[in-house]
Amino acid sequence: MRARFEGRRALVSGAGQGLGRAIARRLAGEGARVAVNDREHSAGVDAVVAETRGVAAIADVSNPDAVDGMVAAVDSELGGIDVLVANHAYMSMAPFVEHDPGDWWRNVDVNLSGTFFLVRAVLPAMRRNGGGRIVIIASEFGVVGWENATAYAASKTGLIAFTKTLGRELGPEGIGVNAIAPGIMDTPQLDVDAADAGVSPEEIRRRYAAETPIGRIGRPEEIAAIAAFLASESSTAFVGQIVQPNGGTTRGLA
Amino acid sequence: MSEANGRVALVTGAASGIGAAISAMLAERGWRVAGLDLNASATELSLEADVADRAAVRAGAERASQELGTVSLLVTAAGRYEMVPIADIDVERWRTMLAVHLGGVVNACWAVVPGMLRAGSGTIVTISSELALAGGAGDAHYCAAKGAILGFTRSLGLELAAHGIRVNGVAPGPTDTPLLAPDSPWRAPEYLKTLPLGRLVRPDEVAETVALLVEEGGYFAGQTLSPNAGAVI
Repeated sequence: MRARFEGRRALVSGAGQGLGRAIARRLAGEGARVAVNDREHSAGVDAVVAETRGVAAIADVSNPDAVDGMVAAVDSELGGIDVLVANHAYMSMAPFVEHDPGDWWRNVDVNLSGTFFLVRAVLPAMRRNGGGRIVIIASEFGVVGWENATAYAASKTGLIAFTKTLGRELGPEGIGVNAIAPGIMDTPQLDVDAADAGVSPEEIRRRYAAETPIGRIGRPEEIAAIAAFLASESSTAFVGQIVQPNGGTTRGLA
Repeated sequence: MSEANGRVALVTGAASGIGAAISAMLAERGWRVAGLDLNASATELSLEADVADRAAVRAGAERASQELGTVSLLVTAAGRYEMVPIADIDVERWRTMLAVHLGGVVNACWAVVPGMLRAGSGTIVTISSELALAGGAGDAHYCAAKGAILGFTRSLGLELAAHGIRVNGVAPGPTDTPLLAPDSPWRAPEYLKTLPLGRLVRPDEVAETVALLVEEGGYFAGQTLSPNAGAVI
């Protein structure tokens, strides 16, 4: 494996499990110092910190003050921030009219506003370095919509527009902003889909695999490889792009 | 490198620009590369042929398989470019543009897909263009041809997904290659100022994108990635 992140410092949000963990491991595997963000301390966070030899960076990303404090601590602990991967997510599903408004907004507060708070907080460090790379994890749900997921899909489509706009805005100063809109992935988030469908986690995995043209769902490690690409100098010509690894479910532009 | 590892690539348009950069990247990563181009290419097996000639492409692909091993990767980078107002695009120009771009892709796929189906695996990367997404004044025939590659890639990606063959595309922005003449409007400072990056794409940036699709793109099917300096967002 190449070592594209030797000497680089990366903050990965929602990194205590699932995709975030895979991304943190991948970046660390290529030489990065990694700050492992999650909303609270957990065995998962400890494990990822240990396996990446990184640092814990606890904050609820929907709380701007907490984000500012966390990012300042990471900046000082790692001596800068070159890469932000905004991977954290909250997903809840319900038919639209039955969706509790408070919980509906929680999807947006965490996914969309949380990413805004993170980007806003890391920009001074990136500007100090004269550049940086920001990778935002959107979702296929934000591209094509999904029944019973209006809140989550709205937050993710918002992230897509946010990425495109920020790509234009920050590209000229050497800060690359791009997003990944993954299709179905084998992560703990599938439990939400399973509960909504009223089936077991195993059954939802089987169903989604059958519905995916390549016949399987995505592995966190393969999305992490794409995140590493977008976080590295390999992708310097990418500006405001939405990359869609989804096994072939949708094949157009986002 | 032995044939057993299956890393044999056929790259069209390998003699210059994006195709040459991709060929060099692949060779550096241990691929045996057959480069098919009108001109001689700096690849392990240089095949001089016209991608618009179906029989010649088939013969070239067969030679690649015989001399290097079964082709497990196809990258179609052959192309031509000219800006012509619609009224001046005669039948000949129209047919040539389609024959080289869409024909070049489909001829190469016809040549290698049967072998990939037998192997139960393979990777195809088509090179389209940002202009196919955005359109361009004076680019009607070029955009029609490159746009057709997008539709072809999405469809073939879907069709071959279940057979273990991954078909995806790259739509680069204006790239610093010999295809852009020194006086090309795409090189003009006024145009470059409109790009968020303020510069042309480099061939190696396109090659890096191909590398991602080839080596770590297992969950992409029918997608088109856009290293385009912000030309289309």
